[in-house]
Amino acid sequence: MSHSHPTPDVYEQGKGMDAHNQVMREIRSEKEASYDPHEPTRVWLDEDNTPGGVKQSLTIILNTGGCRWARAGGCTMCGYVAESVDGGSVSHEALMDQIQVCLDHEANEADEPADLIKIYTSGSFLDEREVGAESRRAIAETFADRERIVLESLPDFVDREKIGDFTQYGIDTDIAIGLETATDRVRHDCVNKYFDFSDFEDACAEAAIADREADAAAAGIKAYLLMKPPFLAESEAVADMISSIERCADVEGCHTVSMNPCNVQRYTMVDELHFRDGYRPPWLWSVAHVLEETADIDAIVVSDPVGHGSDRGPHNCKECDDLVQKAIKDFGLRQDPTVFEQVSCACEATWEAVMDLECSYNQPLTR
Amino acid sequence: MTEYFEVHERDGAARIGELRLAESRTTPALVGDLLTDAGSLWAADREVPDGDDSQVTVLPHRAFPGGTAPEVQESFAVDSPDVDYPSAAVVSSESADAQGTDVYILSNVQSAMGHGAALVEAVVDTREAIPVDTALCFSGVATPRNVALLAYAGVDCFDAAKAVVKGTQGKYLTTEGEYYLEDLEELPCACPACRTPRDDFTREDCVDHNRNALAAELAIVRRRIRDGRLRDYIEGQARHEQWLTAAMRELDSQWRYLEERTPILREADLDAATEDTLRRVEIQRFADRVTTRYRNRFQNPLVLVPCSARKPYSESQSHGQFHDAIQWRGHLVSMTSPIGVVPQELETTYPAQHYDTVVTGRWSEDEKDFVARVLRRYLERNAYPEIVAHVPDEGYREIVERVAADLDLGDEITYTVPEGGHPTDDESLATLSSALSGARTYSKREREHNTVRAIADYVLGDGAGDVLFEEMQTTSRYPKIQVRDSEDTQLATMVPQYGTLSFTLEGARRWAESDAPTKRVEIDGFVPHGSVLAPGVVDADADIRVGDEVVVEGPKAFGIGRAEMFGREMAESTRGIACEIRHVEEK
Repeated sequence: MSHSHPTPDVYEQGKGMDAHNQVMREIRSEKEASYDPHEPTRVWLDEDNTPGGVKQSLTIILNTGGCRWARAGGCTMCGYVAESVDGGSVSHEALMDQIQVCLDHEANEADEPADLIKIYTSGSFLDEREVGAESRRAIAETFADRERIVLESLPDFVDREKIGDFTQYGIDTDIAIGLETATDRVRHDCVNKYFDFSDFEDACAEAAIADREADAAAAGIKAYLLMKPPFLAESEAVADMISSIERCADVEGCHTVSMNPCNVQRYTMVDELHFRDGYRPPWLWSVAHVLEETADIDAIVVSDPVGHGSDRGPHNCKECDDLVQKAIKDFGLRQDPTVFEQVSCACEATWEAVMDLECSYNQPLTR
Repeated sequence: MTEYFEVHERDGAARIGELRLAESRTTPALVGDLLTDAGSLWAADREVPDGDDSQVTVLPHRAFPGGTAPEVQESFAVDSPDVDYPSAAVVSSESADAQGTDVYILSNVQSAMGHGAALVEAVVDTREAIPVDTALCFSGVATPRNVALLAYAGVDCFDAAKAVVKGTQGKYLTTEGEYYLEDLEELPCACPACRTPRDDFTREDCVDHNRNALAAELAIVRRRIRDGRLRDYIEGQARHEQWLTAAMRELDSQWRYLEERTPILREADLDAATEDTLRRVEIQRFADRVTTRYRNRFQNPLVLVPCSARKPYSESQSHGQFHDAIQWRGHLVSMTSPIGVVPQELETTYPAQHYDTVVTGRWSEDEKDFVARVLRRYLERNAYPEIVAHVPDEGYREIVERVAADLDLGDEITYTVPEGGHPTDDESLATLSSALSGARTYSKREREHNTVRAIADYVLGDGAGDVLFEEMQTTSRYPKIQVRDSEDTQLATMVPQYGTLSFTLEGARRWAESDAPTKRVEIDGFVPHGSVLAPGVVDADADIRVGDEVVVEGPKAFGIGRAEMFGREMAESTRGIACEIRHVEEK
């Protein structure tokens, strides 16, 4: 890898980052569970909107020893570090065992193999300290007959050759990057993620080159954005999300944006804030509003709120949560904003008041 | 340091303030319309805006909500820029410090709600960290039910954000509760929004009502502060929500914070209608002063009597009858809840003359315990040749017997009211008179001298009466006693409304030169007339309380006046009246 971008190992500097990392390490140290390296963290079947249409998907959360950044402290909202094995690294054999568990799951639950494979690692799939080149190539071969694959990675580790490992089989390959926000300040200070938007742009450029170099497959970037990081009021979070989606869509190589409403995970800074009445996950109305506002931009914008309707997940008034969630998922598949005209609830007025009146020094105005 | 906020009146920790903008606003008040937010530094880099005096500019900030770790608060701390227009800083109660602004907005305000101890900790920590003459603002929390308690705790500024949001949720707010709109058959309010017929009343109307109800409650709060009667209101109103009552009680435990801010006298009555009255600073302070500062100077037997509803006691019918039987042969000490014991010399002091209690004749265990503890401490400090207890059965006698047993005084106490009898019965009064048959009668002079000295003890400190008034003569009639020296120069006058001494210049000089505890305000080189403003104060004793007699001295002037601020407030404030001058002379 010839990148000169900062890596988590060397970038732990600066007062704010030191403080975030120190606090996150303390919070995470409260978690002591350990996991079997031969089992994936999670696996499930779903359907997803891709540049090639709506596809059956198999989502795999691979247990790779976890996020290196999280061991330094990590992101303020992310609890996935808790879902990794003790000691750090997972052997090639163990990783392949995990893949087999996922294939077995698919064989049992689905009528036919999914066209779309999504692999997340609670770290970076393309980081060779997590998933070595041997394992990466073996996994590419395993899924050679599928149409499309999504691989999660930090931008530092994205390069054309690694993408080529997959596109050589004719698999359309998307790299999912947890950009969180296009605003460097928010990503650094609220999320505690160390890279810059320019690193994301570089990764997109690598993907664009890989796309051109591949004969029978496409390569691109799917940006994951975090709706309402801690310390932002509702309206600030919405404004940041709209501008982030617009900026991502303008980058060549980035064809999809996934907006992820923040949910309150255990052993995170967000959890501490939520516990002390200092944080509320975003309103589902905010998610719907962002999707409506960005409906005509030139990228696929999707959102699949996790944990909707609970206190710890994105929610409205409870009454309308399922309905609005359904509309958001529908928009994700069809990209038709008129779906939001079909949902309404008295709590929209409350959301409007919150958008108008909530600021960082009185948040959260409601639970 | 503030130029655009000024405190005009104080009632405990609550204040009447003024946001001195192009159009001034009297606080406690809703100020949401006056705040212009320069923005959060979490979201973006911000320019320091060009503010002006029509608004309070909230300077660029990083708000730390509840649950923000101390390390994060420290490393992301923001220093507010110096600006010359009205400004506000956003601070957390856990890391607040002086920022040079006029207003401080609490960032972890939501975490302070719903829990009495958490609220009190947040307010006290913040108030102690920011300059005393600046305004404290809570955004996003005020409701008609909680705002009086918040103001009582020491919050000056609010907004209607919470009331508005609740209105959109169909929650109808009142000073005593919160109702779901759909549960209300009729609207329990007559504000303009509630004149809408019930069937047409929408959530938008509910928003308007909530805002109206909040504004109206704040008007009551301001009236109560001006009257010095906010606590009396809180003792009743806070009952409608447990955590607000808890907050009031927690605040009573913050003695240092609350005592410093509580005036030593008021013209207003003090309602003693709840058990919480016993914990009031004024009540605790009186008990403390009577048992640590006051000293009995009469040689006569002690006569314990029940209090009277009429104040001062000596003007009541019952005490008139006691007096006719005693005939200046006994030292009269009234037992009363919730004050404790009131020696006759102190009957005009605050709050002995000002409290008004609920009379049922039934004593709670708390009341009995409190009065017994005060009486015991009183008797430990003051020895009498004889003790006559002219008290009825209910409560009073039990307390005396309890203290007598504690102090081993069983044999020395004569009870002059028969079982089931009343102190004003002929038989009781005759027994009282005969119990004192051997005692000498003290003179009017002795009575008046002892009264002056007792008030000096009570107001100025232990021993002050003897040190200051060893030599004196008294003229005029009680309770307007005038104190003069041997050359007939007036030194002081007793103030009958609240039992204090008002010094002349000569009296002030005697006081300043004496060994008695003196309260001094040091001023710059000017001769004050009328009042001394805070910027003119160089230093002030920390134990000065609002209402205290103070010696005012500087390179050019010597004077005597009354404190309008507490000592630290005089020394730290940049605006406002520190004390009113009564007499002054140029040096």
